[in-house]
Amino acid sequence: MIVRDRLNQIFREVFDNDDINIAPETTANDVEGWDSLSHVNLIVAIEAKFGIRFSQKELLSFKNVGDLIVSIQSKITS
Amino acid sequence: MLLAASLLFYASLKTPYLLIVLTLVAMTTYSFGMLLGRPNTPGMRRALFWCGIAVNVAILAVMKYLPFLSENLKMLATIFSFDISVQPVKAFVAIGTSYYIFQAMSYLIDIYLEIEKPERHFGYFMLYLAFFPKLLQGPIERAGDLLPQLKNQYVFDYDNTRYGILLFTWGLLKKVVIADRLGLYVDSVYNNVHMATGLPLLVATCAYAFQIYMDFSGYTDMALGSARLFNIKLTQNFNRPYHAISIADFWRRWHISFSRWILDYIFRPLQMQWRDWKNWGTAAALMVTFLVSGIWHGASWGFVIWGLLHGTYLACSVFYRPFQKKLHKGLGLEGSRFIKIWQQLITFGLVSFAWIFFRANSLSDAQYVIANMFMFGRSTPVFNLSDYSNVFFLVAGIVFFILSIPLIADNGRRLFQSRWRWAFYYALFFVIFYLGTNTSKFIYFQF
Repeated sequence: MIVRDRLNQIFREVFDNDDINIAPETTANDVEGWDSLSHVNLIVAIEAKFGIRFSQKELLSFKNVGDLIVSIQSKITS
Repeated sequence: MLLAASLLFYASLKTPYLLIVLTLVAMTTYSFGMLLGRPNTPGMRRALFWCGIAVNVAILAVMKYLPFLSENLKMLATIFSFDISVQPVKAFVAIGTSYYIFQAMSYLIDIYLEIEKPERHFGYFMLYLAFFPKLLQGPIERAGDLLPQLKNQYVFDYDNTRYGILLFTWGLLKKVVIADRLGLYVDSVYNNVHMATGLPLLVATCAYAFQIYMDFSGYTDMALGSARLFNIKLTQNFNRPYHAISIADFWRRWHISFSRWILDYIFRPLQMQWRDWKNWGTAAALMVTFLVSGIWHGASWGFVIWGLLHGTYLACSVFYRPFQKKLHKGLGLEGSRFIKIWQQLITFGLVSFAWIFFRANSLSDAQYVIANMFMFGRSTPVFNLSDYSNVFFLVAGIVFFILSIPLIADNGRRLFQSRWRWAFYYALFFVIFYLGTNTSKFIYFQF
């Protein structure tokens, strides 16, 4: 399964909404309930499912789902 | 040109060292920004970044917090009976410093995170810090929002000029008519709290909530208005804060440029750092963030408690929120009008309660207000009606307040476009000249 599909599944679980379909340009404004409180749950879920760890600097410079996907990909291939 | 005007404006405050501090902050931040822009090892960049931040924090600490620190050090010394003589330090006048130093730090952080590129032209950079409409009380602008606008060539623009003048006048009205009138009442109660019991304390506390909003948003309108004359759009600082349905919502609507700053640069990094503690990490990050917010407003225990109160409200809501959702669902109240009004009232109550510590002259005054504001049985009269001019202003105030609610609600936007706008402009001037006070300065000036 490619990263984007797995990530979409995590989004659906965290935000408890099966209609979510993420795209690289998706931002927090596009997903209902994606605020600073649920954001931390999302990050923790992603780290657990992919078995990776983001650095502080990476976490602060993500601007959209695309940035997130690029970062995950680089971590699981290395 | 604009830079020279801005510096002259700051110099007109007649405290020469303010200009020196501004130049110092501009020069150090500019240099660290340039250094951060060069290719370097990650370790080196990190060290540079923290040095830049430390310099800014140190300058701010010297300007604002020395007297507070020395006083509390002295107290500690007496408690532990150390024999240190701590010299009392006289406070510096620090108008504007906390605003532009926060802006300087935001600039360094954005460069460190590679969100922005460093500005090479020192003149533009200095203007970014010193642009006069926002120098004294913000808004705290991001480099990406303001710097590009400063480089545009000025061309006269009728709509911007018209809107700028209107916005400025509108802000003046909010400030000198509404805020300062409310202020007269609030001061009369809060400067002698022990003379009042019950209702007047409650009324003055609510009045203060509106006074501080009208004062600060009036100032902000004037700042945004004067910036518009130069075709520059500054960040909007307010979005009907007392319509907020939760404290978190309130902070998305109140002093937005500042709350964005503390949320992006203090709360989010801490929350991520402590993410393994789940909700407890978020709650702790909120407490720290709002403690800093309190200290930023000034070196006194009242502000510290005000900050901690907001931190506590938000930390509690982290745990309460999932439960609240279920409760509303269970009661069948989800999305109802009633629940929204209820939430707005509760939020206003909590915010006003915290304002008590913000306004009271001392902690013991604040304690007195809280202990006595609900003693309706022994209430002293809300207004002193023996004086006829008071009655006149009371009636005029109530009528004006009721009339102005729809105006304030959409910031006069509809009226500015209506057929009656000229009548309205004249009325505006009339009201400002005849009902305006010429006394006080802005509340947020001191921060």
